[in-house]
Amino acid sequence: MTLSTPTRWAGAVRASARTGRRPRPRTDRSALGAFAVLTAPMVFGLGLFKYVAIGWSLLLSLGEARGTLDPTRWVGLDNYRFLLADPGFRDSLLTVVLFTLFIVPVTFAASLALAVLVNQVRRGRAFFRTAFLVPAAVSYVAAALVWRMALFNGLPSGIANTLGGLLGLDPVPWIATQHPPLYWIVLITLRLWLQVGLYMVLFLAGLQAIPPQLYEAAAIDGASGWRMFRHITLPMLRNTSVAVLLLMTIAGFQAFDEFYNVFSGGLGGSHTAPVHPPLVYLYDIALGDQNYGLGSAGAFLLTLLIVAVTLLQGRITGLGRKD
Amino acid sequence: MNATPNAFGRRRFLTTSLLIAGGAVLTGCAGDPLKKSGDGSTAKITLNQWYHAYGEKGTQEAVKRYALEYTKANPDVAINITWVAGEYETKLNSALLTADAPDVFEIGDFRHQMVKNGQLAPLDDILADTKAEFSKADLDVATVDGKVYGIKMIDDIMMLFYRRSLLEKAGLTPPKTYAELVDAAKKLTTGKMKGLFVGNDGIGDAGFLLGWSAGGDLIDNGKVVFNRPETVAAVGALRQLHDEKVLLLDFTTDWYDPGAISQNATAMQWCGLWAMPDIKKNIGDDFGVVPWPAFGATGRPTARLGGWYELVNAKGKHVEEAKKYLQWLWLKQTDLQQDWCVKYGFHVPPRASVAARTTEFATGPAKDAVAISQQYGKSFPNLWNSAMATAFGDAVTKIAKQKADATDALGQAAAKCQAELDKQLG
Amino acid sequence: MIRPIRRRTVTTLATYAALGLAATAFLLPFYVMLRNALMTTRQVTSPDWQWLPDPLTFDNFTELFSDPAVPMASALGNSLLIAGVTAPVSTLLASMAGYALARIPVPGKGVVLSFILATMMIPGSVTFIPTFVVVGALGGVNTEWGIIAPGLFNAFAVLLFRNFYLRFPAEIEEAGRLDGLGYLGLYRRIALPNSTSMLAALGALSFIDSWNAFLWPLVIGQDPSSWTAQIALSTFLTAQSVNLPGLFAGAVVTIVPLAVMFLVAQRHIVQGITMSGLKD
Repeated sequence: MTLSTPTRWAGAVRASARTGRRPRPRTDRSALGAFAVLTAPMVFGLGLFKYVAIGWSLLLSLGEARGTLDPTRWVGLDNYRFLLADPGFRDSLLTVVLFTLFIVPVTFAASLALAVLVNQVRRGRAFFRTAFLVPAAVSYVAAALVWRMALFNGLPSGIANTLGGLLGLDPVPWIATQHPPLYWIVLITLRLWLQVGLYMVLFLAGLQAIPPQLYEAAAIDGASGWRMFRHITLPMLRNTSVAVLLLMTIAGFQAFDEFYNVFSGGLGGSHTAPVHPPLVYLYDIALGDQNYGLGSAGAFLLTLLIVAVTLLQGRITGLGRKD
Repeated sequence: MNATPNAFGRRRFLTTSLLIAGGAVLTGCAGDPLKKSGDGSTAKITLNQWYHAYGEKGTQEAVKRYALEYTKANPDVAINITWVAGEYETKLNSALLTADAPDVFEIGDFRHQMVKNGQLAPLDDILADTKAEFSKADLDVATVDGKVYGIKMIDDIMMLFYRRSLLEKAGLTPPKTYAELVDAAKKLTTGKMKGLFVGNDGIGDAGFLLGWSAGGDLIDNGKVVFNRPETVAAVGALRQLHDEKVLLLDFTTDWYDPGAISQNATAMQWCGLWAMPDIKKNIGDDFGVVPWPAFGATGRPTARLGGWYELVNAKGKHVEEAKKYLQWLWLKQTDLQQDWCVKYGFHVPPRASVAARTTEFATGPAKDAVAISQQYGKSFPNLWNSAMATAFGDAVTKIAKQKADATDALGQAAAKCQAELDKQLG
Repeated sequence: MIRPIRRRTVTTLATYAALGLAATAFLLPFYVMLRNALMTTRQVTSPDWQWLPDPLTFDNFTELFSDPAVPMASALGNSLLIAGVTAPVSTLLASMAGYALARIPVPGKGVVLSFILATMMIPGSVTFIPTFVVVGALGGVNTEWGIIAPGLFNAFAVLLFRNFYLRFPAEIEEAGRLDGLGYLGLYRRIALPNSTSMLAALGALSFIDSWNAFLWPLVIGQDPSSWTAQIALSTFLTAQSVNLPGLFAGAVVTIVPLAVMFLVAQRHIVQGITMSGLKD
């Protein structure tokens, strides 16, 4: 039905365009109509599922709402105060900030490095690109399963322990060990495996748009590979890099799936997980304890943090600056 | 770029999306999954009932059979069963917000908050004189302000399973104190096998168990008390098991699955009565059960008493019918109750009269389990919630694995839990 | 002359070695998954390493589809339906809005653009509780449309389409306008047919996102009959009694349809991303 409307409208618009003698105002009106038709579904959908949701959530966050979505009592900023005073929630914010600070540069470097390498080879380029890209099609659930049950389980038959055994190392419980925190290796390799491919393709597209003459000229000047990378490749990839950094940062702050699926003990829940990123923490508050007011307040605090960080990042990287 | 309109590509794209969208609308109209009526019966009322997915074979068929029997006896009422696998409680909580909320549902840990939210109907009238048949512990947990809101369907006792032959070979007797447990775990740890399994994270229920086994508790009379010195000392001792590297960690299945002890990955495992038939099938009679041993001189053995309560949604459309159904199934049909407890998995019937005639508990480890349950069984207080569990679990994890100071960590967690508790009571 | 050639050969060899190593690491999990899916529990947990299961067993796959507690077949069907609706519809809606924002000069366009793009600042998973509230209030819990609807409106895709249409050659549209086409006609007859690569790329990405979505379908789809493949898989993972190789079989079954689609659509995805303007 959304598809048939433009068809009918198109006919009407065309008809009016033909009969019109004074083209300017009519064109404007038809432009307005066309604009409305094309944007209405998106505006309506976002209005309903984002703006109404956000508004409702804001009300919930200012009230006491346990086991119900109609706040029973207004409590002002109590929920916010409670969360900011809660060491558990503060820990979770700190966790996600550290996680993002670490995962973003690592993902960035890995995907850029792979893109550069893939771009350099002539034979087998499609094969390598595919090999790195296909994991992007795998879900966090499936990947968490493989990581937890096969690659990093604590048995001597686990893949990581088998490889370690070849080097003469003893089997290690990867997820349960916190001193040193080996579980980060599990979480980070998991995210890299899933995400590097798509970002690599973005960089690859950027690399292929760099005019080869630039490199040829630099080569004549006797520039080395590293200098060419620093002075040609990186600057030419600036806009891609800015966009990729933004996407990675937002994705980092939203981490939920791998933490949930790697640490969840099924019926036992995930209360003894070594780290709870904010979304996992809020998920427990809202859907574990039915405390929707507190959960909404937490969602707003997290949003504030994300907005602040992305704005800061935009400032630093000059996002949106035209050049 | 190709400037001539690619008519074929466009049309194909549009037709495909139209077809798929149209198909979705059609299937949406034809088969709304919730509007199933009870097998085409003429029932006027459909009660929605929720179970979490029990792991044992035959359980799902069994509850469906009970429901059909009820409809046979009461043709006006059909029962629509939802079998919820995965994280049960969060799914239940979100469902309770909607118009399609279950009328009758079960819950593992009874929550005081649900009564306060007005989500549960009191069941004293249907319980009536059968009340005397339930244990005080089971009733207490489901009682708020003198009214009972839940009927226990099964009692699940969790305890320490040990391999008889391995303990004998090492010249050990089943541990009676925590020191003996640590010692046994050390001696039983060999190259291929670990001494003890309490959970993949090496924590599981051990924090609670240590606290209880030192005579401590979580909440007492509106106060969070797990930060008292004797409890702190006990919980702090969990570090010994980690430092000695005698715990099985990151196994594939978790503590509630008998896999680890059945596959010779551990010599002792914290597990539940439900796993007993499976363990028996795999290792025969080569096992025994004991409670979690006492901590220190003043402590006493302990065991966690879990199980499931059946509840009625006070905000449902058919509260009276739901109560009637509950009374029929979990109070009157003693044969079905017995069938439910021992024919598929292995649970203690909470009702004294049903338990008495269940012969499966007459001998061996099963008999020991019932004794452990009656003597040492301890449940979470109904004021304990997910936020508290996270705070406590965090503290225990830090103490055991990151060498945090036990007094500090549990003190902080207690402050957090007290704030939660005050909110619940206030 | 000899030295530069040799140096280049060494660099090439090193590049191939690095790529080969990385590719092995990236493909290893697929191999492990497949290997374990074809094993028995005893073989999976055995400390002795086996490159290939001996003997091979396909029982895990037959068991997977006959487990009464986890309706894998219907879950796959649901995922197909949900992703199959979400991908084309969300892509089309984004392209419509993107076109209007790029090519139709109307007053107040900036306001609409900000209205749409502002939602990108608030990530989807942060609003999942309130969105659940809205969908629940509309009766969408436990329904396919409840899972689908919020995913149809993707501000990021609007932005990409807008970038793309901004750089769309004006001469082509001019020709259409001389033929008497209005803006809707221009969009439908000229802009849309010339965006197939973009449509395919974003459609494929949307399909993947929708197929792999976890948190939202977990909360909305409670009744097993509305489960998606990811929920069914997660259920296996957290079930009370775990059948280890069965889990891997489940993972294989949920990944294969998508991996195949990905391989087929890969060229379009890469091409679409190249054209989206994200790169520069």
